[in-house]
Amino acid sequence: MGLFDTVRSVLGVNAEADATREADPEDLFGMSTAYMTMEADLGYENAEQAALCFSSVDSTDFGDTVDEVEAILEAGETETGTGFSQHSDDHGYSWVVLSDDDPEDLVTTIHFAADTFIEQGYGSRLLAAVFGFDKSGTDHAYWIYSFRRGAYYPFVPEGDHERDNQAEFKLQSVLDGELGIEADEEYWYPLWPDRPGGHPWE
Amino acid sequence: MQWKTDWGLRGRMVFTMFLLFALYIVFVGVLSQFTNLIGIVLVMGLFSLGQFFFSDKMALYSMGANVVDESEAPELHRTVERLSQQADLPKPQIAIADSQVPNAFATGRNQSNATVAVTRGLLNTLDQEELEGVLAHELAHIKNRDVMVMTIASFLSTLAFIVVRWGWLFSGDGENQAPIYVAILVSLVVWVLSFLLIRALSRYREYAADRGGASITGNPSALASALMSIDGRMDRVPDDDLREQAEMNAFFIIPIRSGFIGKIASSHPPTEKRIEKLRELEQQQETA
Repeated sequence: MGLFDTVRSVLGVNAEADATREADPEDLFGMSTAYMTMEADLGYENAEQAALCFSSVDSTDFGDTVDEVEAILEAGETETGTGFSQHSDDHGYSWVVLSDDDPEDLVTTIHFAADTFIEQGYGSRLLAAVFGFDKSGTDHAYWIYSFRRGAYYPFVPEGDHERDNQAEFKLQSVLDGELGIEADEEYWYPLWPDRPGGHPWE
Repeated sequence: MQWKTDWGLRGRMVFTMFLLFALYIVFVGVLSQFTNLIGIVLVMGLFSLGQFFFSDKMALYSMGANVVDESEAPELHRTVERLSQQADLPKPQIAIADSQVPNAFATGRNQSNATVAVTRGLLNTLDQEELEGVLAHELAHIKNRDVMVMTIASFLSTLAFIVVRWGWLFSGDGENQAPIYVAILVSLVVWVLSFLLIRALSRYREYAADRGGASITGNPSALASALMSIDGRMDRVPDDDLREQAEMNAFFIIPIRSGFIGKIASSHPPTEKRIEKLRELEQQQETA
């Protein structure tokens, strides 16, 4: 606990400061090379989907921001061929889901969407960017970028609400150094799919 | 999403802590003149330390709350999980108390050993958004390290109380020092003043946790509406027949927490004031 943190604790503003801290989207570009490493070293292919998960704010201005992001992505759909859909999950969180067989397009579009939120002053509402991977004979695997922690972590769901820890640690050790990986495993929050075998945004 | 910083709240909090600190310095200065009280101080120190380390277990026990795992309360677990993620906290333990009074509290000495507890009454009374508001408020307490802050703030106050209560046992055996009643009188003054200051500090931390919680959910109105339901304000809108009401009125009891004394001695700010502050946030959010 540093001095700055102590002062914030004394003032009782830790919660507010951390919940409203802006996100840094530049780390997202780290995924471009990670896609290659995943395929070359581990045999995981691009699942052709990636998604941005955010929590909403009870204000008209935020609604406008979401509309703007959607409009931009819809326009991009015809240009780059990156498919786009919107999803709200049971927990009250919203998702922007992108599909493209080119990882490069996925990464830049996710970055673009995140950047739009940040420009409108809602960077603090971004929870995670999730990149999907597939390997024949196994469940999906994900790299999750936590905007709150500014770090990546692996997530490999297995069956119903189980995690394949072995696969996750493998992903961690191979991608270590290439991606900024969350060191504290207490923060490796799962994003469970609604049905086993599905994506968290389905 | 940026709200105006509540400088008034921060100022009051710092001022209260400053007064408390000054009061404690005087107290320690006086107390150090009474070497025969050293035993009490040591025992109290150990006791407070134990209380701090077992604060979570003690609080849960006194409220009759049991820790529930993911299979027992999957929805609640998932809600807390997402909110902790947004708050940038490790997920705390979750406990449920079998009480029908809607209430919630957070306990634990630090962020990695924290527990959030809710009553069945709370789960039954609130809708999902309101529940999220309350849980986020409790997570904000954890994030702001309120258990630690309040333990440190009240240690010497508890000591003063013990001296007031048991100090007379130590009279007579001091050689060249002031009579023990001086220590007892000073302790009494310190205890009363520090009690009021600690309660004020506690109220300010509630406001801070309201702000923190609202910034976690992005929805100040949901917490405001939860506070209204918990406080029974919504229940006060009558749906009973007027004629039945007339008979009921005879049984109404005047709330104990009324008047000036009730106000400065309570640990939580009045609900109306909290709701008013949350409304201001909602307004800033909408007009920013």
